[in-house]
Amino acid sequence: MRSTLLIAALSAVTFAGGCIPVQIQAPDEPIEINLNVNIRQEVIVRLERDAQELLEQNGNLF
Amino acid sequence: MTRTFSIAAAFAAALALSAPASAQDAAVAQARASGAVGEQADGYLGLTPGGSVSADLRGRVDQINIQRRALYTRRAAERSVSVNEMAAAVACEIFQADANAPHSRIAVGERYRDEAGQWRQRTSAAPIPAPSFCGG
Repeated sequence: MRSTLLIAALSAVTFAGGCIPVQIQAPDEPIEINLNVNIRQEVIVRLERDAQELLEQNGNLF
Repeated sequence: MTRTFSIAAAFAAALALSAPASAQDAAVAQARASGAVGEQADGYLGLTPGGSVSADLRGRVDQINIQRRALYTRRAAERSVSVNEMAAAVACEIFQADANAPHSRIAVGERYRDEAGQWRQRTSAAPIPAPSFCGG
């Protein structure tokens, strides 16, 4: 609720002030996020229902 | 009688096209039973080493794997995970050793390849160790 108000307020300011140019500089190097090793098991567990569904619906492939 | 049969055949054919068939390719099923083909911990079928495999069988296994990959890819995109993770999640279901597990696809006597790449055979005495990434 609070954040909604904040967003509304910010939008109002943005509109009142016209377009504020925002420069976003792309980093030279791509940011590497390597959480794969840590989250892997958690992801697998989360996908359990999907995996079961794929097996149930594609008996010709399994 | 013939007419009934042809209608039934047409219906079956339409069903096969529109919905997944319930049984795997007979040649592949036979190869699994004989140990020439087995499930792998990566979610795909593999050809066990040592046996001479016909080009036909190899093609069938490739076809199944291509279609599995398509399934994994689509679902992985929907869930914002990697294709390998989706494939691994399916492997976890396939490797369920519990005889009552509804999704276990490795019957006693069939061969499977563990996550270390070793081919093993499922015996009635020993349940299949689930790959380490499967979690509880």
